[in-house]
Amino acid sequence: MKLLMIEDDAQTADYVTRGLTQHGHLVDHAPDGRGGLLMAGAGDYDVLIVDRMLPGLDGLGLVRTLRGAGVKTPVLFLTALRGVGDRVQGLEAGGDDYLVKPFAFAELLARVQALGRRPPLSDVPTSLRVADLEIDLLKRKVLRGGEAVELQPREFRLLEFLMRHAERVVTRTMLLEGVWDFHFDPKTNIVETHISRLRAKLSRAGHDPELIHTIRGSGYVLRAPAT
Amino acid sequence: MRRLRRVWRSASFRLAALYLLLFTLSALVLGGAVFLTARADLQSQMAERITAETTYLRGVFRNDGIAGMVGRMVERGRGESALDYLVLDAAGRRLAGQMPVTPRLRPGWATIAITAPEEADKEPENVRALITDLGGGLLLVVGDDLGRIDDVEEAIATALAWAVALAAVLGIAGGLVLSRAFLSRIDTIARTAEAIIAGDLARRVPVRGTDDDLDRLAGTLNRMLDRIGTLMDSLRQVSSDVAHDLRTPLSRLSQRLEGALLHARSVGEYETAVRAAVGEAESLLDTFSALLRIAQVEGGSPRAGFRDVDLGQIAETVVDAYLPDAEAAEHRLTVTLAPGCHVRGDQELLTQAIANLVENALRHTPAGTRIEVRLTCDPGAGARLVVADDGPGVAAEDLPRLLRRFYRGERSRTTPGNGLGLSLVDAIAHLHGADLRLEHAGPGLRVVMDFAPSTAAGRSVRQNPRVS
Repeated sequence: MKLLMIEDDAQTADYVTRGLTQHGHLVDHAPDGRGGLLMAGAGDYDVLIVDRMLPGLDGLGLVRTLRGAGVKTPVLFLTALRGVGDRVQGLEAGGDDYLVKPFAFAELLARVQALGRRPPLSDVPTSLRVADLEIDLLKRKVLRGGEAVELQPREFRLLEFLMRHAERVVTRTMLLEGVWDFHFDPKTNIVETHISRLRAKLSRAGHDPELIHTIRGSGYVLRAPAT
Repeated sequence: MRRLRRVWRSASFRLAALYLLLFTLSALVLGGAVFLTARADLQSQMAERITAETTYLRGVFRNDGIAGMVGRMVERGRGESALDYLVLDAAGRRLAGQMPVTPRLRPGWATIAITAPEEADKEPENVRALITDLGGGLLLVVGDDLGRIDDVEEAIATALAWAVALAAVLGIAGGLVLSRAFLSRIDTIARTAEAIIAGDLARRVPVRGTDDDLDRLAGTLNRMLDRIGTLMDSLRQVSSDVAHDLRTPLSRLSQRLEGALLHARSVGEYETAVRAAVGEAESLLDTFSALLRIAQVEGGSPRAGFRDVDLGQIAETVVDAYLPDAEAAEHRLTVTLAPGCHVRGDQELLTQAIANLVENALRHTPAGTRIEVRLTCDPGAGARLVVADDGPGVAAEDLPRLLRRFYRGERSRTTPGNGLGLSLVDAIAHLHGADLRLEHAGPGLRVVMDFAPSTAAGRSVRQNPRVS
């Protein structure tokens, strides 16, 4: 993917750029708001990584200007502000996701990849399918190998989130935010326990191959078994 | 001199001066009115007396002729406050009486200026006189000295002037004394404030117990100082707690890294050490962000984003999230919800508060414990959220300490956590104007969060508990 990082802190920019480049992405860097706005408007980027506080033009203003000009490139906000309302503000300005500093690199990578391959909004699927697992989003039904699997509503949302991000890593935090709307880090293993219950139900007592894989230090990925 | 200038500039003195001015003005107006009324009265009395005398003398003249009348005039003219008389013939010559003859006298009222021959150097005396035609060219003049009225008027005016002057002097003296007394109390307050600025934080403004304006002001200032003192103490407490609580993980972190430098030989060993160090650093960052979050909530800024939130829905989501965990730990987690419990608040923070309470109950109670989340709402009393367990509970003396930052009970020293969970719940409750109480549930701990009815938009009256 081609990414643009608009960040004035050279150390963070360098750390992120190096990491993303290692994972095969092409990263441009703009150290201030005005330069970033020009580059974002001109270049054909898959994802913009925008710091909230920038010299010249701040991140919120930058994204508002871009959205006003009709640029729909997904935006991930980075911020040192852990304001309760700040996340909402960022999303309202036209941001697509929000990450608070300090962050783990795996978290940033997972979120950038999730944003970059987001399907266009017009194309809303009514069912999702990975290998022999199929979910019907309208009827809220799950089929594994043609056989119905009974899920609790919250388990269904968890599975739906994983299916929508199939083949991509989703972090624990992304799941907490996306499935439970928890914007804090609980000290207990609620994600882990829900995932293991979901696994047990989907594998139908261990007869089917595992679809949900744990990525150590990052999170989970739902992917079809290699054939 | 400077002291006087201060008195002059003081608000109380200016008020006193203004009051004095108004008082003097009204005394003057009142005095003037008294003066004018008295004068009119005196003049009309004088006129009545003259008229009566004239009528009497005319009667005597009609009965006894001119000689009889003159005889009466001489008799009556001897008294101390006798009237002045004069009788003139048709040619204007004096027939009787002591008044000097003045030309051009006509019947009717007149004021005549008379200069007595022996007092030629003095001001002429004014005489108010009634001139009557007795017939045949004879003129009778009966007059009274206006000087008598002037004397009375002068006496009244002098008395008034003295009264006003005395009032003014008393007023000025009173104003000075009062404003100096007032200023000295203001000075006391200012000196106390200066002492506090200089560092004597324990100083308080003296209160006299008279419950007047200044006393109440002093009381309010003292309460404010007490509140600031409490805040300063808790701030000092928090900073020393922070320093103390962060030193341990920081030294662990540094030991791990030093250990790796000294002993690690292979990449694998380094990796293990670095992973452990990253873990330590992350828990430190967690503690910091929890502290920052508490500070932010206490600062009150999230209040700007308050909107109508459904407490029941939040409680349900939280319980739903923790249910598998609770089951895995063999806790019985139940939820009882009254539908339609709405409050004005921040959804994220309320979610976190309820999650912290449930998490606390899960972590600090043994297997088999029952944990109940109960939400009730009643339009009069507001919404009430209760998280109760029937675990071992907390010693009574420890209950108030649970809300302190970094406080961890004896039993929970070994469980993970930073001792900030309940502090955050407390801050969130405070932000929402809710009353947070920790109680004995006999056995167990019960945490009650009471939302005030003003913030609770309890739209549903029916109590229809649903157990899940």
